[in-house]
Amino acid sequence: MNWGLIFSNGLYAAVSANAIGYMLVASGLNVHFGYTGLINFGQAGFAAVGAYAMAITVGRYDWNPVFSLALVLIAGAVLAAWVGAITLRLRADYLAIVTIAVAEIIRLFANSVKYTWLTGGNDGLQKFSGWMERLSPFDNNGITVWKQKIDGYRLWLLVVGWILVAVVSTIVYLLMRSPWGRVLKSIREDEDAASSLGKNVVAFKMQSLVIGGMIGAMGGLWIVLDKQSAQPGDFATTLTFFVFTIVIIGGIARVKGPIIGTMIFLFVFTFVDSFLREATKRPDPVLPRWLATDNNYGQVKYLLAGAALALLVAFRPQGIFGDKREQAFDVR
Amino acid sequence: MNQSQAGWRRALLCARWYLKRGALLLLALLVLGSELFDSGVAHADASTTITTTVLNRSVENGKTERIPVAGVTVNITDESGAQVGTGVTNDKGIIAIDVGKAAVYTVSIDVASLPEGVSVADKEPTSRSVDFNAGVSVGAGKKVTFFLGKSTRVTKSRWSQLPQTLVNGIKFSLLYAMAAIGLSLIYGTTGLSNFAHGEIVTLGAVVTWYLNVEGPRLHLLVAAVFGIAAAALAGGLVERSVWRPLRRRGMSLTSMMIMSIGMAIAVRYIFLFYFGGRNRRFRQYVGESQKELHIGSVGVTPRDLTIMIVSIIVVVAVCMFLLKLRLGKAIRAVSDNPDLASATGIDTNKIILLVWLVGGALAGLGGVMFGAATGIQWDMGFNILLILFAAITVGGLGNPFGALLGAFIVGMATELWSWAFPSVTELKTAAALFALIVVLIFRPQGLLGKRERIG
Repeated sequence: MNWGLIFSNGLYAAVSANAIGYMLVASGLNVHFGYTGLINFGQAGFAAVGAYAMAITVGRYDWNPVFSLALVLIAGAVLAAWVGAITLRLRADYLAIVTIAVAEIIRLFANSVKYTWLTGGNDGLQKFSGWMERLSPFDNNGITVWKQKIDGYRLWLLVVGWILVAVVSTIVYLLMRSPWGRVLKSIREDEDAASSLGKNVVAFKMQSLVIGGMIGAMGGLWIVLDKQSAQPGDFATTLTFFVFTIVIIGGIARVKGPIIGTMIFLFVFTFVDSFLREATKRPDPVLPRWLATDNNYGQVKYLLAGAALALLVAFRPQGIFGDKREQAFDVR
Repeated sequence: MNQSQAGWRRALLCARWYLKRGALLLLALLVLGSELFDSGVAHADASTTITTTVLNRSVENGKTERIPVAGVTVNITDESGAQVGTGVTNDKGIIAIDVGKAAVYTVSIDVASLPEGVSVADKEPTSRSVDFNAGVSVGAGKKVTFFLGKSTRVTKSRWSQLPQTLVNGIKFSLLYAMAAIGLSLIYGTTGLSNFAHGEIVTLGAVVTWYLNVEGPRLHLLVAAVFGIAAAALAGGLVERSVWRPLRRRGMSLTSMMIMSIGMAIAVRYIFLFYFGGRNRRFRQYVGESQKELHIGSVGVTPRDLTIMIVSIIVVVAVCMFLLKLRLGKAIRAVSDNPDLASATGIDTNKIILLVWLVGGALAGLGGVMFGAATGIQWDMGFNILLILFAAITVGGLGNPFGALLGAFIVGMATELWSWAFPSVTELKTAAALFALIVVLIFRPQGLLGKRERIG
């Protein structure tokens, strides 16, 4: 059993460019769910439009990446405005159903054979990250840190990504400290009270939805930049619920929540997976074959993620570092 | 100041109106537009005779059917693009064209010559290249086959397929209704949007499959009884051991909803872990015994007929139970207003347990029949979960009769979508979800819902 490699895999997964994507998607959800109390079950949809906005315009039509980056943000904002226009006047659980429906429509559309000419279908799109590679100042051989070989491109993604996470977190922090942010929290706590104080609840919710959607779109972009491939399977509903788990682990309505949550989630996720891969490796697996085999060990991490979500909500809704007063679960 | 604010508000309202309707329209136009620009391509091979076969291929109940397509124009061109031969397929879908010498050719079918109601299947080319110098069949000529029509399995006009589509729609509507009634009753009595309902559907099918195929190899009808019982028990057990204690603790509905998602993910991957990713079938009601019975232009397999009859009986029985029996009335009372119901002496916890048992059994039955119709898969329940939510929301949340109506609308909408847009059948779930959004825009409480439920 190669414990060093197992730990190293887990630790790298917790800080990798992929993790940065998750942090951003989770930060967006935190704005919706944590601060405003909006039950957005379609965060994967926001990530998907962000990812595909870049993948299609650069990969298919060779746009200037500057315009493409702008489109990523615009796509997130437009989707948020559209979903908000439909649901924000309805009760909270309608938002949940409509957002999950919209996210699935987007994924099915990206997955369809018919629109392969645009979205690449099931195989997705590649060759949209060349501009990022060209910007990279690092040598393409990259570096090797404790068994993890990080190529120059991913090192560059890490540097830019962590700066992005810092910038986004600062913006969210400042926004939530502002009077505007306090209105959001008051809406979360008691919508009617906020409304009776003369606040336009729907407008504030809409603004929150748009800002979180834009952050989510950036997150989706980072996930596919890391893979250098955008596929519809990356944006299934499981992404949304993993991100929910992340937000809850890290502590709802905490700026550092999504960051810490992602690191813990992805560390455990990858650690379990690497451990089981080693433990079920033929010819002499450590684990008995009735328990797990090299064919089915891959399911265990998902099983644990689901169980973690259920147990956290039941027994520790404020997460590991959260503040019980901030939990956003009593949304009407 | 006030005036300018009012002006802004008016502009905003106006913009919102256009945003909503405009976006809907745009999506519809996108789909329709791409439908019009549907184009096809095909491809062939030969020795000096190129035999081209055009078949309409469809996969029905796991069996692939190939029906020859007559009257399709086939063109053969050489490498320079000059036409070397052309012909029209006979009633066996075959045309043999002698190209004179062994070289490289391109065989293509003329999409415009396709009979009405047939289109080129997705991913299938409408032209193929033929290289006489490649392959082992020297001197034997080359054969090329074009496959058409993924969903348009009948080479008849589209309108003549409508009755068949409607029958399929009814079948799926009834299957959705089975599972949706339980989901709706659970929502009505407890307020919980149970995202783990799909897993109860899968559980019924998987347990039945195990007893039917893997374990003691019981007959499907016997195994199904156990499968349904397992689903009912699972529902009851989760209610007693998880939801009731949490309700007592005063957990919010949002928390419970998110919890049900976590449970659903965990259970789904347990299915994948033990059951595997393959689509499997029961031992009975498959294969040769399932020759279609033809009633006019509509073909129904005995299995599908059984499914429809059983579901109609069950749905009617459930409706009668809800309308006529004391317990059924009590369920509707709790669903209507739990506080009022408990004030009149109804034991709401008992009623909720009953709802979970009945809802679980119905979901399990739906799962068994869905498994018989389309095969059993680890995520079959999850795949229809959003359709079920669409059904109960369209019909009116919490109203079991609304769930029936909603299931009918959604089931019909998905099948009619495949009929109307045969090249994008994979988007039929998207169509159902889209229908959900449209209904929410114009009638947020659902068709049979009460106004106050929209909050």
